[in-house]
Amino acid sequence: MNIIIVGDGKVGYTLADRLSHEGHDVTIIDKNKMALRKASETLDVLCIMGSGANLRTLVEAGAETTDIIIAATTNDEMNLVCCLAAKQLGTKYSIARIRDPEYTESLTLLQDKLNIDQVVNPERTAALEISRLMRFPFAMNVESFSHGRVEMVEFRVDIEDNLCHIPLYQLHNKYPHVQFSAVLRGNDSIIPDGSFELTPGDRVYVTGERISVTAFFRQLGKDTQRVKNAMLIGGGHTAYYLSKIMAGMGTRLKIIEIDEERCRELSGSIDNGVVISGDGTDREILQSENLREFDALICLTDKDESNLITGLYGKREGMRKVIVKVNRLDIAEVEESLNLESVINPKVSAAESIMRIVDALNQSTGSVMDKVYAMQGGRVEAYEFVARENLPFLNTPLSGLPIKKGVLVSLIIRNRQVIIPFGSDHLEAGDRVILTARAGTIKVLEDAFKKH
Amino acid sequence: MNKRVTFKLVGSVMLVEAALLLLPLFVSLVTKSGDQMSFVITILLTALCGMSLRAIKTPDDTLNAREGCAIVALSWLALSFFGALPFWISGSIPSLLDAFFETVSGFTTTGATILTDVEALPKGLLFWRSLTHWAGGMGVLVLSLAILPKMGGRSIYIMRAESSGPSTEKLVPRVGQTAKILYKLYIGASVVLFIALLICGCNWYDSFIHMFGAAGTGGFSNYAASVAHLNNPAAEIILGVFMVLFGINFSIYYFLFHRNWKMLRQNSEWKVYLSVVAAATIVIAVNILSLPRFQGHFGHALRASFFQVSSIMTTTGYATEDFNLWPQLSRVILLLLMMIGGCAGSTAGGLKVIRLQLLFKCAIRDISRTIHPRSVSVIKLEKRAVDEKVISGVQGYFFISIAIVCLSSVVVALDGFDFETTLTSVMATFFNIGPGLSLVGPTGSFAMMSPLSKLVLTFDMLLGRLEIFPLLMMFAPETWRK
Repeated sequence: MNIIIVGDGKVGYTLADRLSHEGHDVTIIDKNKMALRKASETLDVLCIMGSGANLRTLVEAGAETTDIIIAATTNDEMNLVCCLAAKQLGTKYSIARIRDPEYTESLTLLQDKLNIDQVVNPERTAALEISRLMRFPFAMNVESFSHGRVEMVEFRVDIEDNLCHIPLYQLHNKYPHVQFSAVLRGNDSIIPDGSFELTPGDRVYVTGERISVTAFFRQLGKDTQRVKNAMLIGGGHTAYYLSKIMAGMGTRLKIIEIDEERCRELSGSIDNGVVISGDGTDREILQSENLREFDALICLTDKDESNLITGLYGKREGMRKVIVKVNRLDIAEVEESLNLESVINPKVSAAESIMRIVDALNQSTGSVMDKVYAMQGGRVEAYEFVARENLPFLNTPLSGLPIKKGVLVSLIIRNRQVIIPFGSDHLEAGDRVILTARAGTIKVLEDAFKKH
Repeated sequence: MNKRVTFKLVGSVMLVEAALLLLPLFVSLVTKSGDQMSFVITILLTALCGMSLRAIKTPDDTLNAREGCAIVALSWLALSFFGALPFWISGSIPSLLDAFFETVSGFTTTGATILTDVEALPKGLLFWRSLTHWAGGMGVLVLSLAILPKMGGRSIYIMRAESSGPSTEKLVPRVGQTAKILYKLYIGASVVLFIALLICGCNWYDSFIHMFGAAGTGGFSNYAASVAHLNNPAAEIILGVFMVLFGINFSIYYFLFHRNWKMLRQNSEWKVYLSVVAAATIVIAVNILSLPRFQGHFGHALRASFFQVSSIMTTTGYATEDFNLWPQLSRVILLLLMMIGGCAGSTAGGLKVIRLQLLFKCAIRDISRTIHPRSVSVIKLEKRAVDEKVISGVQGYFFISIAIVCLSSVVVALDGFDFETTLTSVMATFFNIGPGLSLVGPTGSFAMMSPLSKLVLTFDMLLGRLEIFPLLMMFAPETWRK
């Protein structure tokens, strides 16, 4: 497909990289010469300098014959105008990145009137991710599938967990309601089979129904108490969205924000928290605000360094849960050595959710991809598909299907029933299937099987 | 530098050359010219070397600007060396240096020759000699990018290093696709020219040879008297027109096909280029009118003038007249046209029209700066601000070009020829034209030069075609350090 990306920032660059590798023809529009130079030299894309809201620039980028325009600049209004202009010129589908709560709350109206097909809100996505992590404080990552019915939780295996050195098929007998979907050992990503044995220090992804996953961790003796109160450093959009989400869960928040004006604004718009004006990266202030009495510390300032350092400080102070927001793209490689468990990256998540939309638009086969989730810095992916009637391989036992090596059918959801599949189970039309596989191997459900 | 990737890709380019060599082998078999063995041996050698380089394992296959330049420079050296083998093996050109000179002259679309009796060469070799023009014109690496499977976004570095002009831009998002479009346009235009020549009554072999020479703006002919030998006014006019067309930036044709009139209107280079061709043609036509040859016949003078201007401006080097005998004004104008050359992104050589446009604008800006010392002004081209880096790059390029011409002239001067021969032999090779004035004029050859001069001139041809920096970079020690 022909795709125009407006805005060559972190989101735009990540998208351009992934989309052009997937075989789409990508054109980037940006005003920043330096950013464009990097993109034009390292990616197989066309770069045009100019404003994405300028009709002439859009025509030059071929907006008349483009399938998708993705407006991912830092400016909401700009993104709206880009989408509007491109649609007028004849672009078929538009995706806008909108962050300001003022706009998001009138989204339905905006989308209809302004002809925007999809809205992506990185801050809100990040807030949702944080709220999931607060439910499983011991987890490093939590991702939900099938509209929140199924959860995939990443955690580190300890010796006292009694999971180590036992083949997985035996573990399956002991914990029949969860699936071990993927394992990260050192720098290796492994899709485990029945004979695989866990060792201490492995990072394991466990998938299952929400209650079963909670029960599994309770059996292991993990801390399944949800976080009751949290301290937030940085009161940006993410903090606002988080407070709205947490309000429904009854969690108390304390938000420390350096800008007084912003503090006043925030305290006027949220109900379930205290807003403190001050530098949240300053130890004195953290102490005087009784950091230790809180279950969790969440660092959401704009500066990666401050977030990481404050996060490490919270870790040393013995906080139950520390969540750190990072904007840089290359953090995944050093994340391990930082000893911080939960690092969230809204830019990457935003790029991923846009990828999902593009992939879904690209489908014309026997299955519909509902969700892709990149695990372990993108080396392994989890996919959620809906099987259609014209999919081959329906109603055949899984043991009789030519499933590719390195692909695991983790879960099947049939009529709201979650099935942990064994060889005797089969696929039916309308099933939701959750697969784990190496990144990039699967685009449609058929890819999981060998060709005849 | 990532040497593994560099050499591996050079290997791919050699395989492409081996494939290209199959064409002259075929011609040689059809015409029974007796030189087929030299091709068979060369193809085997080239393919073998190419395959063994292809076998290099590359754990890390990232390309940077440095690798891009090195791949282009090394590929061109390898292409020229292996391309020279058929001449040497068959014994048609006994000296390996001479064969190398001739092949470099072919690939760089110069058209300078060390042969004194061209017509004695077997037909297969003559075909190959002209085919190198065609392949070198648009670029062998661009051809490789077009036909080899995906090489990723970073291959833009290779394209930039091989294409001519101050800044190379893609036409469509993908490098491979852009290369394909360029070659499609190139092949399309070449086929049209070939058919036109056939219709004019040239035989298929002559048509091929002159199509290659004109499309690549090279200038090798299979006759000593060049195009004049054909004695075919229609073919002359067609070749003249097509040479001018091949000297225009190929993206213009892409816009033309897509009816993108706005880009056509905006682009000023082709307009300036055509204006210069027209102006020079008329001035020279008037100037040579009084020569006894034309006897005041303006039509003949105009035709002769147009062909020579078109041939020199596009740095092809075909001739229908011995312009060496023309009045001084015409000779000086032709010398200036040699320097200007064609448009960026075409098969022509020279400094390129766009560079001179930019230099001219710089000069005007500098004058206005002396009047208004605090003024801030941006140089604009096609209604867009030009990056200051591009401008300083063009100024640097201009200086280095002049410096290379001067230094090479000093070396060639050791041979003791007259001033015109010395200077124009260097200009004719560095700007990829072919014939110069005086002894190296359209009827002369480079055969009498000393081996040292030939070596320097060979190097000048490569420097001119690759626009200096990729080749000079190979001599910087940092390039080879890990």
